[in-house]
Amino acid sequence: MGDRVSEINTVIESIPDVKLIKPFVQGKFDIEGSISVFVEGLEQALNFDVSISPQYPFKSHDTETIKFSNDDLLEYKHIMGNGSICIHTAHSPVLSEKLGYDIASVKAWIKKYYINKDTDTHYEHLIISEKAFKGSHFAFFFNEVEYTFSKNQYGFVDYSTLSNGVFYKDKINSNIVQTFYDRNKKILADVKWNFQLKALSKSLGLFIFLKDAPSKNQRWVFDSWNEFEPLLSQDSLKFLHSIEKNAKKEKGKHLPLFVGYNITDKEIHWQVIMLEIGNFPIYGEKVNQQWLTMIDGNRSIDWAMTRNCSYKYFFGRGRLNEKLTNSRILIIGIGAIGSIVAKTLVRSGCTKVDFIDYDIKEPENICRSEYSFFTGITNKTNDLINELCLISPFFEPTKGGYEFSEAFDFLLKSHLTDTSIKEEIEKYLSEYDIIFDCSTDNDLLYVLSQLKINSTLFNLSISNHAKQLVCANEQNRYEFISTQFNGNVLEFDVDDLHNPTGCWNPTFKASYNDINTLVQLAIKHINLRFEQDKALRNFVIETDDTDCLTIKLKEF
Amino acid sequence: MDKNLHLESVIKTHQITKEKTLLDKHIQKKNEVKEALEEKYGSNLYSSFNSGSYAKNTAINTKFDFDLVSPFKRNAFGSNGTLKEMYENVYDFLYEKYKNVAEVKKQKVSIGLEFYADSDGDKIKIDVVPGRELNQDQYKDDENLNLYVYYKYGNIDAGSERIKTNVQSQISNIKDRADKEKDSIRKIIRLLKVWKNTKYNYPTKSFFLELITIKAFDNSTITGNLWDKLKAVMEYIKDNVTNDGFTLKDPGNSSNDLADTLTDGEKQQLANDMKNMLDRIEENDENIKTYFPENPKFKEEDKSKNKYSTNGGMPVPPPKLNFG
Repeated sequence: MGDRVSEINTVIESIPDVKLIKPFVQGKFDIEGSISVFVEGLEQALNFDVSISPQYPFKSHDTETIKFSNDDLLEYKHIMGNGSICIHTAHSPVLSEKLGYDIASVKAWIKKYYINKDTDTHYEHLIISEKAFKGSHFAFFFNEVEYTFSKNQYGFVDYSTLSNGVFYKDKINSNIVQTFYDRNKKILADVKWNFQLKALSKSLGLFIFLKDAPSKNQRWVFDSWNEFEPLLSQDSLKFLHSIEKNAKKEKGKHLPLFVGYNITDKEIHWQVIMLEIGNFPIYGEKVNQQWLTMIDGNRSIDWAMTRNCSYKYFFGRGRLNEKLTNSRILIIGIGAIGSIVAKTLVRSGCTKVDFIDYDIKEPENICRSEYSFFTGITNKTNDLINELCLISPFFEPTKGGYEFSEAFDFLLKSHLTDTSIKEEIEKYLSEYDIIFDCSTDNDLLYVLSQLKINSTLFNLSISNHAKQLVCANEQNRYEFISTQFNGNVLEFDVDDLHNPTGCWNPTFKASYNDINTLVQLAIKHINLRFEQDKALRNFVIETDDTDCLTIKLKEF
Repeated sequence: MDKNLHLESVIKTHQITKEKTLLDKHIQKKNEVKEALEEKYGSNLYSSFNSGSYAKNTAINTKFDFDLVSPFKRNAFGSNGTLKEMYENVYDFLYEKYKNVAEVKKQKVSIGLEFYADSDGDKIKIDVVPGRELNQDQYKDDENLNLYVYYKYGNIDAGSERIKTNVQSQISNIKDRADKEKDSIRKIIRLLKVWKNTKYNYPTKSFFLELITIKAFDNSTITGNLWDKLKAVMEYIKDNVTNDGFTLKDPGNSSNDLADTLTDGEKQQLANDMKNMLDRIEENDENIKTYFPENPKFKEEDKSKNKYSTNGGMPVPPPKLNFG
């Protein structure tokens, strides 16, 4: 251990413009010392207390195990609550090299944020310490609304609890905001979520829109109520008082107060303060013969967590091309391929997705499609809608369901020669920008090929053992698929099929991994062609597993 | 498989004479429209004539294109009349006359008449191409016409009046070739049209395919059987269409460059499509059926071949092979 301390002292002393103020010594857990760091542009070097954890030079989870702290720097960007600089440096298993990286990072921070006072292009949220309130953490998710709040506007909100979970070692309760009302309970703005979220039971909360962030130096959120004194009007305090007075029976229950402010000209952010009914941080005081509501300034504020879950943030880390995400999509057939396509699209930003499938989900379907065991035997359409509502708050199925699927199949196949019904069906299908036919129903493939539809239509199917995936999207879909599968083009095993017990209808053999690999590649290719604004062509994805796996996409 | 035999069958099953009834309906409807125009415009209109693939003998029976060129006199719409006024006037007349029996659409240089399905379910389509002679009474001597471009056509802007052409020269461009070469060129053009019909709204016009096929014959050695010749034309298109300076002169007016009817992206797509076709057919002959399908309506089944394989005399139905 002594070697480690002495190595740290030696390395630090060897770094240019860095001086040891207090040599490093072994503390109870960490190695601690103080240094000064000089960067050109500074009048004098900055001092830092440095603590180095036993894991160093390795990180602990995602956190660096060296801390450079100076309480005088709290007002600057990228300083943590404990006064330490937020740094993330490259990996190195060699202590001397890692120390070099970390000191270089401190110098870069001094140059960028201390000397040049750079502002980042992305907004940095206020720093709020994550504290439990009455034994549980609370999180509130909000979405942008089409309403402009005015300064000091206050009123009510409805929110719904999504779930109770575990936050490290504590409980956590996650919620969504549903509706904003004015103080007379007239609706101001309804928050858009999927229909299942909108149907959740609701609880009451309050809101106040401050316009300016409740913060010191735009960095730290207020921590005691006296900081709110200049911001909260007597009207809004009286509103709080009246709420508490009228909710005496609810004493002890929590009530979230949403505090809104602008983070840009157009964008607002909400933080939430947890209040306890019967214990609001207010009191009455008679001033000049008049009762006023005052803030109990010494009380500390219980902040909850909030997350902006609007579309651009929810899908901010990655989504498909807008030609897909903005499209109204129909998926016919939601077995293995169809359900994977559906889940991929919805997880990647598509919102308007309908399904047609008359089939029932059985336990043996689950191993290679996007269904869960928990829901037992149920219609595939119902089950998939439930699955996708759990994933995306923006998923909006408009049509589908079992009865619709039955009617669709009957009308389509029995009225092909009835011009007026055929035209109605063509009109109906043309309302979809994109149709994925994953039914592998060759009768349907034929019937669809006889219709005049404006939609972009993809037919996806695979061969036994998922040896190939065929995607047809041109006018000659029917002929193309027939030639690929039934001609002498694709080579695959036609004998080793899976025969379910008690069933005369054999199916293909392939795992979720086999199928998903090909389906994801197909969606990636389709997305690429949309991004490139290039015409889509029929294509085949072929696998070869004679040695290392090779996958080749052939466009026709 | 024998690619050559397949292609001959594609040609055979797409012969226009196999759809005699439909052909007769088109001819009859074309004559009706021609008479209606003559009645309306009288001496301001020279004799309208068919300029489409039927006139050039490059037609296929899965898509009839009957283009009725209507050559107007220079002053038919007043001495200061514009090509736009000509186009709009003909559109208004056709719309009023046929709005209850057909969909009347403004197209790139023509006005499309798509008659609603008759009792047999057949839909007749006639494209009327209004054109105007360059100077009063000059058409009799030079057969040159100016066309109006209704909306953006490749690199040619909407509203442009720059298309001057000579449709009779276009028709003669193939007809005047030596018999043997003429036959090959026509077959290849028909095959490329069959291929184009496997696509949705392919941007390359049939006229473009005609000219580029002829240019391929003029500029490279194209010999052998039908597949060899088709392959050579496809290779020519692949290797040349995106080249800087590649032109396709309109035989009706050498200052019209048909290469301008495609954007650079569309030319690249055409070259890519040719490459994909050549590669896929090279990998497996059977793929030729995807690109150049026979017309199933007139396909002769091979009676000697049992569709189902036999197993001890019991017929075995074909299994389902595509899954999802």
